[in-house]
Amino acid sequence: MKSEKDKFISSQLPAYLDGLLSPKERQQVEDHLAVSESCRKELEELRMLFTAFEEEQVQIPSDRLRVQFDQALEQEKLSQSKVVQLGKNKGGWPFNLLKIAASVALLIAAFQTGRILEMEKSDQDVAAILEESLQIKQTAMLSLMENQSASKRIQGVGYIEEFPNPDEAIVQALAKRLLHDENDIVRLNAFEALTSLASSETVKSVFIEALGKEKNPSIQIGIIQALVKNKEKKAVAPMQRLLEQEDTQPFVKNEIELALPKII
Amino acid sequence: MEALPDEIIMRKVADGNLDLLKVLFDRHHRHVYNYLFKMSGDAMLSEDLTQDVFYKLIKYRSSYKDGAFVSWLFSIARNNLKTHFTRNHKYHEPVDVLAYKAVANDAEQREEYGQLHNALNQLSPQDRELIVLNRYKEIRYEELAEIMGSTPGALKTKVSRILKKLRIIYLESN
Repeated sequence: MKSEKDKFISSQLPAYLDGLLSPKERQQVEDHLAVSESCRKELEELRMLFTAFEEEQVQIPSDRLRVQFDQALEQEKLSQSKVVQLGKNKGGWPFNLLKIAASVALLIAAFQTGRILEMEKSDQDVAAILEESLQIKQTAMLSLMENQSASKRIQGVGYIEEFPNPDEAIVQALAKRLLHDENDIVRLNAFEALTSLASSETVKSVFIEALGKEKNPSIQIGIIQALVKNKEKKAVAPMQRLLEQEDTQPFVKNEIELALPKII
Repeated sequence: MEALPDEIIMRKVADGNLDLLKVLFDRHHRHVYNYLFKMSGDAMLSEDLTQDVFYKLIKYRSSYKDGAFVSWLFSIARNNLKTHFTRNHKYHEPVDVLAYKAVANDAEQREEYGQLHNALNQLSPQDRELIVLNRYKEIRYEELAEIMGSTPGALKTKVSRILKKLRIIYLESN
Protein backbone atom coordinates (compact mmCIF):
# COMPACT_ATOMS: atom_id res chain seq x y z
CA MET A 1 0.00 0.00 0.00
CA LYS A 2 1.48 3.27 -1.14
CA SER A 3 1.61 6.18 1.20
CA GLU A 4 0.49 9.69 0.31
CA LYS A 5 4.15 10.62 0.19
CA ASP A 6 4.79 7.85 -2.33
CA LYS A 7 1.96 9.13 -4.51
CA PHE A 8 3.21 12.69 -4.36
CA ILE A 9 6.82 11.77 -5.12
CA SER A 10 5.64 9.45 -7.88
CA SER A 11 3.85 12.38 -9.55
CA GLN A 12 7.04 14.44 -9.30
CA LEU A 13 9.22 11.84 -11.00
CA PRO A 14 8.69 12.95 -14.64
CA ALA A 15 9.60 16.52 -13.72
CA TYR A 16 12.56 15.17 -11.73
CA LEU A 17 13.87 13.31 -14.74
CA ASP A 18 13.26 16.28 -17.01
CA GLY A 19 15.20 18.47 -14.60
CA LEU A 20 12.25 20.79 -14.03
CA LEU A 21 12.27 20.73 -10.24
CA SER A 22 13.68 23.40 -8.00
CA PRO A 23 16.73 22.40 -5.96
CA LYS A 24 14.53 22.11 -2.88
CA GLU A 25 11.99 19.88 -4.65
CA ARG A 26 14.77 17.79 -6.11
CA GLN A 27 16.26 17.28 -2.67
CA GLN A 28 12.87 16.22 -1.39
CA VAL A 29 12.51 13.62 -4.16
CA GLU A 30 16.01 12.29 -3.65
CA ASP A 31 15.49 12.03 0.09
CA HIS A 32 12.40 9.99 -0.47
CA LEU A 33 13.98 7.81 -3.14
CA ALA A 34 16.61 6.83 -0.59
CA VAL A 35 13.96 5.29 1.62
CA SER A 36 11.27 4.11 -0.81
CA GLU A 37 12.05 1.12 -2.94
CA SER A 38 8.78 1.33 -4.89
CA CYS A 39 9.59 4.86 -5.93
CA ARG A 40 13.12 3.85 -6.97
CA LYS A 41 11.59 1.10 -9.13
CA GLU A 42 9.14 3.53 -10.61
CA LEU A 43 11.89 5.96 -11.41
CA GLU A 44 13.87 3.27 -13.17
CA GLU A 45 10.88 2.26 -15.25
CA LEU A 46 10.14 5.87 -16.14
CA ARG A 47 13.75 6.36 -17.11
CA MET A 48 13.43 3.38 -19.45
CA LEU A 49 10.32 4.88 -20.97
CA PHE A 50 12.01 8.23 -21.47
CA THR A 51 15.03 6.52 -22.98
CA ALA A 52 12.68 4.72 -25.34
CA PHE A 53 11.26 8.08 -26.35
CA GLU A 54 14.74 9.46 -26.96
CA GLU A 55 15.89 6.41 -28.83
CA GLU A 56 12.76 6.09 -30.89
CA GLN A 57 13.57 6.61 -34.47
CA VAL A 58 12.33 9.95 -35.63
CA GLN A 59 10.25 9.56 -38.73
CA ILE A 60 11.85 11.42 -41.59
CA PRO A 61 9.48 12.98 -44.09
CA SER A 62 10.37 12.72 -47.78
CA ASP A 63 12.26 15.42 -49.65
CA ARG A 64 9.02 16.34 -51.34
CA LEU A 65 8.09 18.28 -48.21
CA ARG A 66 11.12 20.57 -48.38
CA VAL A 67 10.91 21.01 -52.14
CA GLN A 68 7.29 22.03 -51.97
CA PHE A 69 7.93 24.32 -49.02
CA ASP A 70 10.74 26.05 -50.90
CA GLN A 71 8.49 26.47 -53.93
CA ALA A 72 5.69 27.95 -51.85
CA LEU A 73 8.15 30.30 -50.20
CA GLU A 74 9.55 31.48 -53.52
CA GLN A 75 6.05 32.08 -54.82
CA GLU A 76 5.16 34.06 -51.74
CA LYS A 77 8.32 36.12 -52.11
CA LEU A 78 7.32 36.99 -55.68
CA SER A 79 3.88 38.14 -54.65
CA GLN A 80 5.43 39.88 -51.65
CA SER A 81 7.68 41.95 -53.89
CA LYS A 82 4.55 43.11 -55.66
CA VAL A 83 2.97 43.88 -52.35
CA VAL A 84 6.03 45.83 -51.33
CA GLN A 85 5.71 47.87 -54.49
CA LEU A 86 2.10 48.62 -53.74
CA GLY A 87 3.13 49.43 -50.21
CA LYS A 88 5.64 51.92 -51.51
CA ASN A 89 2.97 53.64 -53.56
CA LYS A 90 0.70 53.62 -50.59
CA GLY A 91 3.45 55.10 -48.47
CA GLY A 92 3.90 57.88 -51.00
CA TRP A 93 0.35 59.08 -50.94
CA PRO A 94 1.09 62.33 -49.11
CA PHE A 95 3.72 62.97 -51.75
CA ASN A 96 1.17 62.27 -54.47
CA LEU A 97 -1.25 64.60 -52.75
CA LEU A 98 1.45 67.28 -52.83
CA LYS A 99 1.89 66.67 -56.51
CA ILE A 100 -1.83 67.04 -57.08
CA ALA A 101 -1.89 70.19 -54.96
CA ALA A 102 1.04 71.58 -56.93
CA SER A 103 -0.67 70.90 -60.24
CA VAL A 104 -3.87 72.50 -59.00
CA ALA A 105 -1.90 75.54 -57.83
CA LEU A 106 -0.15 75.67 -61.18
CA LEU A 107 -3.48 75.51 -62.97
CA ILE A 108 -4.92 78.34 -60.86
CA ALA A 109 -1.77 80.46 -61.28
CA ALA A 110 -1.81 79.95 -65.03
CA PHE A 111 -5.51 80.80 -65.15
CA GLN A 112 -5.01 83.96 -63.10
CA THR A 113 -2.04 85.06 -65.18
CA GLY A 114 -4.05 84.53 -68.32
CA ARG A 115 -6.94 86.44 -66.83
CA ILE A 116 -4.77 89.40 -65.81
CA LEU A 117 -3.09 89.52 -69.19
CA GLU A 118 -6.47 89.31 -70.83
CA MET A 119 -7.75 92.11 -68.60
CA GLU A 120 -4.77 94.30 -69.50
CA LYS A 121 -5.33 93.59 -73.12
CA SER A 122 -9.01 94.36 -72.88
CA ASP A 123 -8.16 97.53 -70.97
CA GLN A 124 -5.96 98.46 -73.87
CA ASP A 125 -8.75 97.56 -76.22
CA VAL A 126 -11.21 99.64 -74.29
CA ALA A 127 -8.77 102.53 -74.26
CA ALA A 128 -8.32 102.17 -77.98
CA ILE A 129 -12.06 102.10 -78.49
CA LEU A 130 -12.53 105.15 -76.26
CA GLU A 131 -9.77 106.92 -78.13
CA GLU A 132 -11.40 105.95 -81.36
CA SER A 133 -14.80 107.17 -80.22
CA LEU A 134 -13.24 110.45 -79.05
CA GLN A 135 -11.68 110.84 -82.46
CA ILE A 136 -15.05 110.25 -84.04
CA LYS A 137 -16.70 112.69 -81.66
CA GLN A 138 -14.04 115.28 -82.34
CA THR A 139 -14.54 114.89 -86.06
CA ALA A 140 -18.28 115.15 -85.55
CA MET A 141 -17.85 118.18 -83.30
CA LEU A 142 -15.54 119.99 -85.68
CA SER A 143 -17.77 119.29 -88.66
CA LEU A 144 -20.90 120.28 -86.73
CA MET A 145 -19.30 123.58 -85.82
CA GLU A 146 -18.82 124.28 -89.52
CA ASN A 147 -22.46 123.52 -90.24
CA GLN A 148 -24.64 126.17 -91.84
CA SER A 149 -27.37 125.72 -89.30
CA ALA A 150 -26.77 127.72 -86.14
CA SER A 151 -28.43 125.09 -83.97
CA LYS A 152 -26.06 122.42 -85.36
CA ARG A 153 -23.12 124.69 -84.59
CA ILE A 154 -24.42 125.14 -81.05
CA GLN A 155 -24.74 121.38 -80.77
CA GLY A 156 -21.17 121.02 -82.01
CA VAL A 157 -19.87 123.54 -79.45
CA GLY A 158 -21.82 121.68 -76.77
CA TYR A 159 -19.76 118.58 -77.48
CA ILE A 160 -16.91 120.21 -75.57
CA GLU A 161 -18.33 118.49 -72.45
CA GLU A 162 -17.21 115.16 -73.92
CA PHE A 163 -13.57 116.31 -73.94
CA PRO A 164 -12.00 116.70 -70.54
CA ASN A 165 -8.70 117.69 -72.20
CA PRO A 166 -9.58 119.18 -75.58
CA ASP A 167 -6.70 119.37 -78.04
CA GLU A 168 -5.51 122.30 -80.09
CA ALA A 169 -7.83 121.58 -83.00
CA ILE A 170 -10.89 121.87 -80.78
CA VAL A 171 -9.64 125.00 -79.10
CA GLN A 172 -8.96 126.55 -82.54
CA ALA A 173 -12.41 125.59 -83.77
CA LEU A 174 -14.05 127.07 -80.68
CA ALA A 175 -11.96 130.24 -81.01
CA LYS A 176 -13.07 130.50 -84.62
CA ARG A 177 -16.70 130.28 -83.49
CA LEU A 178 -16.17 132.93 -80.84
CA LEU A 179 -14.37 135.33 -83.17
CA HIS A 180 -16.23 134.84 -86.42
CA ASP A 181 -19.61 133.24 -85.91
CA GLU A 182 -22.41 135.52 -86.92
CA ASN A 183 -24.83 134.02 -84.41
CA ASP A 184 -24.73 135.54 -80.93
CA ILE A 185 -25.76 132.34 -79.22
CA VAL A 186 -23.09 130.29 -80.96
CA ARG A 187 -20.50 132.85 -79.93
CA LEU A 188 -21.83 132.85 -76.38
CA ASN A 189 -21.70 129.07 -76.21
CA ALA A 190 -18.21 129.03 -77.68
CA PHE A 191 -17.15 131.60 -75.09
CA GLU A 192 -18.63 129.52 -72.29
CA ALA A 193 -16.88 126.44 -73.62
CA LEU A 194 -13.61 128.32 -73.64
CA THR A 195 -13.92 129.82 -70.13
CA SER A 196 -13.08 126.45 -68.61
CA LEU A 197 -9.79 126.65 -70.53
CA ALA A 198 -9.22 130.33 -69.80
CA SER A 199 -5.87 129.72 -68.13
CA SER A 200 -4.28 128.67 -71.44
CA GLU A 201 -2.36 131.38 -73.30
CA THR A 202 -4.09 130.58 -76.59
CA VAL A 203 -7.52 131.05 -75.06
CA LYS A 204 -6.45 134.31 -73.34
CA SER A 205 -5.20 135.80 -76.58
CA VAL A 206 -8.41 134.68 -78.26
CA PHE A 207 -10.40 136.42 -75.53
CA ILE A 208 -8.38 139.61 -75.93
CA GLU A 209 -8.91 139.51 -79.68
CA ALA A 210 -12.63 138.82 -79.23
CA LEU A 211 -12.92 141.73 -76.80
CA GLY A 212 -11.81 144.07 -79.57
CA LYS A 213 -14.43 142.75 -81.98
CA GLU A 214 -17.34 141.63 -79.86
CA LYS A 215 -20.43 143.76 -79.98
CA ASN A 216 -22.73 141.60 -77.86
CA PRO A 217 -22.67 143.15 -74.39
CA SER A 218 -23.32 139.96 -72.45
CA ILE A 219 -20.36 138.27 -74.17
CA GLN A 220 -18.28 141.40 -73.62
CA ILE A 221 -19.01 141.29 -69.90
CA GLY A 222 -18.31 137.55 -69.77
CA ILE A 223 -14.93 138.02 -71.46
CA ILE A 224 -14.04 140.95 -69.20
CA GLN A 225 -14.83 138.90 -66.11
CA ALA A 226 -12.86 135.90 -67.37
CA LEU A 227 -9.84 138.07 -68.17
CA VAL A 228 -9.98 139.91 -64.86
CA LYS A 229 -10.17 136.58 -63.07
CA ASN A 230 -6.93 135.57 -64.77
CA LYS A 231 -5.39 139.02 -64.21
CA GLU A 232 -4.53 139.33 -67.87
CA LYS A 233 -2.62 142.61 -68.29
CA LYS A 234 -2.79 142.47 -72.06
CA ALA A 235 -6.53 142.94 -71.75
CA VAL A 236 -6.09 146.50 -70.42
CA ALA A 237 -5.62 148.08 -73.90
CA PRO A 238 -8.71 146.60 -75.55
CA MET A 239 -10.73 147.41 -72.46
CA GLN A 240 -9.68 151.02 -72.51
CA ARG A 241 -10.55 151.11 -76.20
CA LEU A 242 -13.99 149.79 -75.36
CA LEU A 243 -14.36 152.55 -72.79
CA GLU A 244 -13.56 155.13 -75.45
CA GLN A 245 -15.94 153.65 -78.02
CA GLU A 246 -19.31 155.35 -78.10
CA ASP A 247 -21.33 152.32 -79.02
CA THR A 248 -20.23 150.47 -75.95
CA GLN A 249 -23.11 149.89 -73.57
CA PRO A 250 -22.87 151.97 -70.37
CA PHE A 251 -23.10 148.95 -68.09
CA VAL A 252 -20.24 147.37 -70.00
CA LYS A 253 -18.20 150.53 -69.49
CA ASN A 254 -19.17 150.41 -65.87
CA GLU A 255 -17.97 146.78 -65.68
CA ILE A 256 -14.67 147.76 -67.27
CA GLU A 257 -14.16 150.61 -64.85
CA LEU A 258 -14.69 148.21 -61.99
CA ALA A 259 -12.42 145.60 -63.53
CA LEU A 260 -9.46 147.72 -64.57
CA PRO A 261 -8.15 148.50 -61.07
CA LYS A 262 -8.21 144.77 -60.29
CA ILE A 263 -5.93 143.97 -63.18
CA ILE A 264 -3.53 146.85 -62.71
CA MET B 1 20.91 33.72 -37.33
CA GLU B 2 21.00 30.03 -36.47
CA ALA B 3 21.29 30.89 -32.80
CA LEU B 4 18.36 33.27 -32.57
CA PRO B 5 15.22 32.13 -30.76
CA ASP B 6 12.21 31.15 -32.85
CA GLU B 7 10.21 34.13 -31.69
CA ILE B 8 12.70 36.72 -32.94
CA ILE B 9 13.07 34.93 -36.25
CA MET B 10 9.31 34.71 -36.67
CA ARG B 11 8.99 38.41 -35.90
CA LYS B 12 11.48 39.14 -38.69
CA VAL B 13 9.51 36.85 -40.99
CA ALA B 14 6.31 38.72 -40.12
CA ASP B 15 8.14 41.93 -40.99
CA GLY B 16 8.85 40.58 -44.46
CA ASN B 17 12.09 38.59 -44.25
CA LEU B 18 10.56 35.46 -45.75
CA ASP B 19 13.84 33.63 -46.23
CA LEU B 20 14.14 33.18 -42.49
CA LEU B 21 11.17 30.83 -42.61
CA LYS B 22 13.64 28.28 -43.95
CA VAL B 23 15.41 28.35 -40.60
CA LEU B 24 12.16 27.67 -38.80
CA PHE B 25 11.28 24.97 -41.29
CA ASP B 26 14.63 23.28 -40.69
CA ARG B 27 14.18 23.44 -36.96
CA HIS B 28 10.65 22.21 -36.67
CA HIS B 29 9.31 20.39 -39.68
CA ARG B 30 10.37 16.94 -38.46
CA HIS B 31 8.72 17.46 -35.10
CA VAL B 32 5.53 18.64 -36.68
CA TYR B 33 5.64 15.69 -39.03
CA ASN B 34 6.30 13.23 -36.22
CA TYR B 35 3.52 14.67 -34.11
CA LEU B 36 1.10 14.33 -37.00
CA PHE B 37 2.38 10.86 -37.81
CA LYS B 38 1.97 9.67 -34.24
CA MET B 39 -1.54 11.05 -34.18
CA SER B 40 -2.70 9.81 -37.58
CA GLY B 41 -0.39 6.87 -38.31
CA ASP B 42 -0.47 7.89 -41.97
CA ALA B 43 2.87 8.96 -43.49
CA MET B 44 1.42 10.52 -46.64
CA LEU B 45 -1.28 12.33 -44.77
CA SER B 46 1.25 13.59 -42.22
CA GLU B 47 3.43 14.90 -44.97
CA ASP B 48 0.51 16.72 -46.59
CA LEU B 49 -0.60 18.16 -43.31
CA THR B 50 2.94 19.24 -42.39
CA GLN B 51 3.16 20.89 -45.78
CA ASP B 52 -0.05 22.71 -45.03
CA VAL B 53 1.16 23.85 -41.60
CA PHE B 54 4.12 25.59 -43.19
CA TYR B 55 1.99 27.04 -45.98
CA LYS B 56 -0.14 28.59 -43.28
CA LEU B 57 2.97 29.91 -41.58
CA ILE B 58 3.81 31.71 -44.82
CA LYS B 59 0.30 32.90 -45.39
CA TYR B 60 -0.56 34.06 -41.88
CA ARG B 61 2.94 35.22 -40.91
CA SER B 62 1.70 38.72 -40.14
CA SER B 63 -0.90 37.39 -37.71
CA TYR B 64 1.86 35.99 -35.49
CA LYS B 65 1.54 37.60 -32.09
CA ASP B 66 4.24 37.72 -29.47
CA GLY B 67 4.14 34.36 -27.77
CA ALA B 68 5.93 31.05 -27.92
CA PHE B 69 6.49 30.15 -31.54
CA VAL B 70 6.16 26.41 -30.92
CA SER B 71 2.76 26.99 -29.34
CA TRP B 72 1.61 28.81 -32.42
CA LEU B 73 3.15 26.21 -34.71
CA PHE B 74 1.57 23.24 -32.94
CA SER B 75 -1.75 25.00 -32.58
CA ILE B 76 -1.79 25.28 -36.36
CA ALA B 77 -0.76 21.62 -36.66
CA ARG B 78 -3.50 20.52 -34.26
CA ASN B 79 -6.10 22.54 -36.12
CA ASN B 80 -4.95 21.08 -39.42
CA LEU B 81 -5.36 17.58 -38.08
CA LYS B 82 -8.75 18.37 -36.62
CA THR B 83 -9.95 20.03 -39.82
CA HIS B 84 -8.71 17.12 -41.88
CA PHE B 85 -10.71 14.59 -39.91
CA THR B 86 -13.79 16.76 -39.77
CA ARG B 87 -13.72 17.38 -43.50
CA ASN B 88 -12.68 13.98 -44.84
CA HIS B 89 -14.90 11.62 -42.96
CA LYS B 90 -18.42 11.08 -44.05
CA TYR B 91 -19.59 10.14 -40.62
CA HIS B 92 -19.31 13.02 -38.29
CA GLU B 93 -17.96 11.04 -35.43
CA PRO B 94 -15.90 12.82 -32.81
CA VAL B 95 -12.53 13.76 -34.23
CA ASP B 96 -10.57 12.02 -31.53
CA VAL B 97 -12.28 8.73 -32.17
CA LEU B 98 -11.38 8.92 -35.83
CA ALA B 99 -7.81 9.80 -35.09
CA TYR B 100 -7.63 6.84 -32.80
CA LYS B 101 -9.15 4.54 -35.41
CA ALA B 102 -6.78 5.77 -38.06
CA VAL B 103 -3.89 4.52 -35.99
CA ALA B 104 -5.48 1.36 -34.67
CA ASN B 105 -6.54 0.14 -38.10
CA ASP B 106 -3.04 -0.07 -39.43
CA ALA B 107 -2.67 -3.44 -37.79
CA GLU B 108 -0.07 -4.82 -40.16
CA GLN B 109 2.15 -1.82 -39.64
CA ARG B 110 2.11 -2.07 -35.88
CA GLU B 111 4.95 -4.57 -35.80
CA GLU B 112 7.31 -2.16 -37.51
CA TYR B 113 6.86 0.73 -35.13
CA GLY B 114 8.24 -0.84 -32.00
CA GLN B 115 6.96 -1.11 -28.50
CA LEU B 116 6.76 2.54 -27.62
CA HIS B 117 4.66 3.34 -30.64
CA ASN B 118 2.33 0.49 -29.87
CA ALA B 119 2.10 1.50 -26.25
CA LEU B 120 1.27 5.07 -27.28
CA ASN B 121 -1.45 3.77 -29.54
CA GLN B 122 -3.17 2.22 -26.59
CA LEU B 123 -3.64 5.58 -24.99
CA SER B 124 -6.67 7.68 -25.81
CA PRO B 125 -5.95 10.21 -28.60
CA GLN B 126 -6.15 13.08 -26.10
CA ASP B 127 -3.65 11.42 -23.76
CA ARG B 128 -1.44 10.40 -26.64
CA GLU B 129 -1.38 13.94 -27.98
CA LEU B 130 -0.39 15.33 -24.59
CA ILE B 131 2.45 12.88 -24.19
CA VAL B 132 3.71 13.29 -27.75
CA LEU B 133 3.80 17.04 -27.31
CA ASN B 134 5.22 16.80 -23.81
CA ARG B 135 8.12 14.64 -24.88
CA TYR B 136 9.12 17.22 -27.48
CA LYS B 137 11.81 19.15 -25.65
CA GLU B 138 10.93 22.51 -27.20
CA ILE B 139 7.52 22.38 -25.62
CA ARG B 140 7.59 23.14 -21.92
CA TYR B 141 4.49 23.10 -19.75
CA GLU B 142 3.94 26.80 -20.44
CA GLU B 143 3.81 26.22 -24.18
CA LEU B 144 1.72 23.09 -23.76
CA ALA B 145 -0.77 25.10 -21.71
CA GLU B 146 -0.92 27.67 -24.53
CA ILE B 147 -1.60 24.96 -27.11
CA MET B 148 -4.19 23.15 -25.02
CA GLY B 149 -5.79 26.21 -23.50
CA SER B 150 -5.06 25.00 -19.99
CA THR B 151 -2.70 25.86 -17.12
CA PRO B 152 0.85 24.50 -16.71
CA GLY B 153 0.01 23.14 -13.25
CA ALA B 154 -3.02 21.20 -14.40
CA LEU B 155 -1.12 19.78 -17.36
CA LYS B 156 1.84 18.77 -15.19
CA THR B 157 -0.45 16.64 -13.07
CA LYS B 158 -2.21 15.25 -16.10
CA VAL B 159 1.01 14.36 -17.92
CA SER B 160 2.40 12.70 -14.83
CA ARG B 161 -0.74 10.57 -14.54
CA ILE B 162 -0.68 9.58 -18.23
CA LEU B 163 3.03 8.76 -18.06
CA LYS B 164 2.31 6.36 -15.20
CA LYS B 165 -0.31 4.68 -17.36
CA LEU B 166 2.00 4.55 -20.35
CA ARG B 167 4.85 3.18 -18.28
CA ILE B 168 2.72 0.27 -17.16
CA ILE B 169 1.48 -0.45 -20.73
CA TYR B 170 5.01 -0.19 -22.04
CA LEU B 171 6.49 -2.50 -19.41
CA GLU B 172 3.68 -5.06 -19.79
CA SER B 173 4.29 -5.33 -23.53
CA ASN B 174 8.01 -5.69 -22.93
